[in-house]
Amino acid sequence: MAEAPMSRVLVIDDSSLVRRYYRAALERAGFAVEEALNGIEGLEKLLEGRFDLVIVDVNMPKMDGITFLSDLRARAAPTGSVPALVTSTEAGPQDKEAARRAGANFYLVKPVAEADLVAHAALLAGARA
Amino acid sequence: MSADAGPPPEAVLSEEEFRRFCEFVYRRTGIVFTETKRYFVERRLLERYASTGSSTFAAYFARLRAESQEVEELINAFTINETYFFREEHQLRCLTSSLLDEIVAGKAPGSPIRIWSNPCATGEEPYSIAIWLLENWPKVDVYDIEIVASDIDTRVLDAARAGIYGERALMRLSRDLVARYFETTGPGRYRIIKDLRGSVRFDTVNLIDARAMARQGRFDVVFCRNVLIYFDDASRRVAAENIYESLVPGGFVCLGHTESMSRISPLFEVSRHAEAIVYRKPGGVRHG
Amino acid sequence: MPLVRRPTISAAAPAREAAPGEPFALLSDPDAGVRWSAARALADEPGGIQALARALARETEPRVREAITTSLMRAGSEEAVCALIEHVRSDDAALRTLVVEALQGMAAAASHLPDLMADADPDVRILAAEIARSMPADEATGLLADALAGEQHPNVAASIVEVLVEVGTSDAIDALRMARRRFAAEPFLPFAVDIALERLARSEP
Repeated sequence: MAEAPMSRVLVIDDSSLVRRYYRAALERAGFAVEEALNGIEGLEKLLEGRFDLVIVDVNMPKMDGITFLSDLRARAAPTGSVPALVTSTEAGPQDKEAARRAGANFYLVKPVAEADLVAHAALLAGARA
Repeated sequence: MSADAGPPPEAVLSEEEFRRFCEFVYRRTGIVFTETKRYFVERRLLERYASTGSSTFAAYFARLRAESQEVEELINAFTINETYFFREEHQLRCLTSSLLDEIVAGKAPGSPIRIWSNPCATGEEPYSIAIWLLENWPKVDVYDIEIVASDIDTRVLDAARAGIYGERALMRLSRDLVARYFETTGPGRYRIIKDLRGSVRFDTVNLIDARAMARQGRFDVVFCRNVLIYFDDASRRVAAENIYESLVPGGFVCLGHTESMSRISPLFEVSRHAEAIVYRKPGGVRHG
Repeated sequence: MPLVRRPTISAAAPAREAAPGEPFALLSDPDAGVRWSAARALADEPGGIQALARALARETEPRVREAITTSLMRAGSEEAVCALIEHVRSDDAALRTLVVEALQGMAAAASHLPDLMADADPDVRILAAEIARSMPADEATGLLADALAGEQHPNVAASIVEVLVEVGTSDAIDALRMARRRFAAEPFLPFAVDIALERLARSEP
């Protein structure tokens, strides 16, 4: 029987340690992981490859997560409709609302626990048709 | 982990030193080195240690962080800098398969199309653009195409105007193309034919000089390949602003294949085409 | 053949050059494009830094803000640094990020770091750690290690560790070990500190 292809996740965060942490957790859970360090690089990676989920931080130089998400959602499917998990150090309702309006599917507050990350990744990547 | 292809080198770097180096290079330039490239990276680093008189990674890394000159040397050590005709051909294909269609939508026949090769170095790029258009664009007679070529270095501009090249520069060109667009001036020496030389205008321009850039007017496409990677942050930003100003709304800028606006400026839209990712100045009318 | 052009004057209209004094007024123009050009022009004008500083306080258009910070970055002076530092406290995260990016490229920012790293606002301390990234290793390590030793806020600690992982020397090891104990129950931080400890163990001061 053919093996199901691994779900591919793009992690966008300007911290190399955060990317490494998420990568370790996601790879242990069976995901294939790629990285970008800001919204512009994230868009380029998404436009060049197929992903089942993008995990993107709000706070990044050059192009922040909200701007990235707004740009992404304006693009045609399947790229523009990739599920998006937004992370942020901010826990306030306005911040969550801004992410939702920009097209986030879920919002996690940093620092993110490994179990939370993997559980939400599985949920959102699995929801991809 | 990949199998070792050659004799196992003495470990030049520890695991974390290798990561530290890769993270720095990735952050600064976008270039990614993975574990599979480790042997290659270590060999190049040993060369840089020798050139800089560094005996440890810590000493070398301190220098790398402090001196933009060393970052430039490092990039040169890791990239192939040769210039030749039809280099990065996928972008030329992108030009004629995608970009020009968008540029001419809404333009009447006879309208100008302005293309800028900046920097142009010794001219391979602007002449390549000209040859490519003549060979691959059915509408090359329909519009008034102007190709401008600029560089900060007047000596390379002189060489570009002269248009004389060796075999190596022509290695990607078919015999037909060489016969059509070059004349032999000596053994292994080829000169661009006069008509083609006359179709490119060469001018000295510094990318970070806003006034000099503005004097050249507005362009539909700018090729700015393999130079911004060497600039410091402030100069990259200024150059990007100048390029933005030099483009018509909806105009495109093409960077080198290892380069990305992600390390430079958020001014441009990321524009995906079958052959390449390029960057677009917002505005203008979108077609298709 | 096509492409051959008669040596006529190019059909392209050169961009209009602003008259002296104009950029100052145009910095408040209703058109964002005009303000953008004015912000770029003011880098070279006497009195430009003050005008740019005032504009940064009220500008909301992202690319005009970016042009203002680029001009301040190019100026590089103490005055320009102060103009930027004013905004590290902003509620606007995007503005804080822009300001930090610019300060990272300015040597004159270094003297302000000890104060910024001791600021009561955790977001300011996070930004200060980021600015330290561009300092020489010994100087940065001293500041960052001291800050980490007293830091209680996990996200600030994470930012400090992130920068130490790039620039730190073995002088930071004690502070890192303390942080490992202090934040043992936090997600992510133990992972981050362990990497920093392994990395810095071989880095001579």
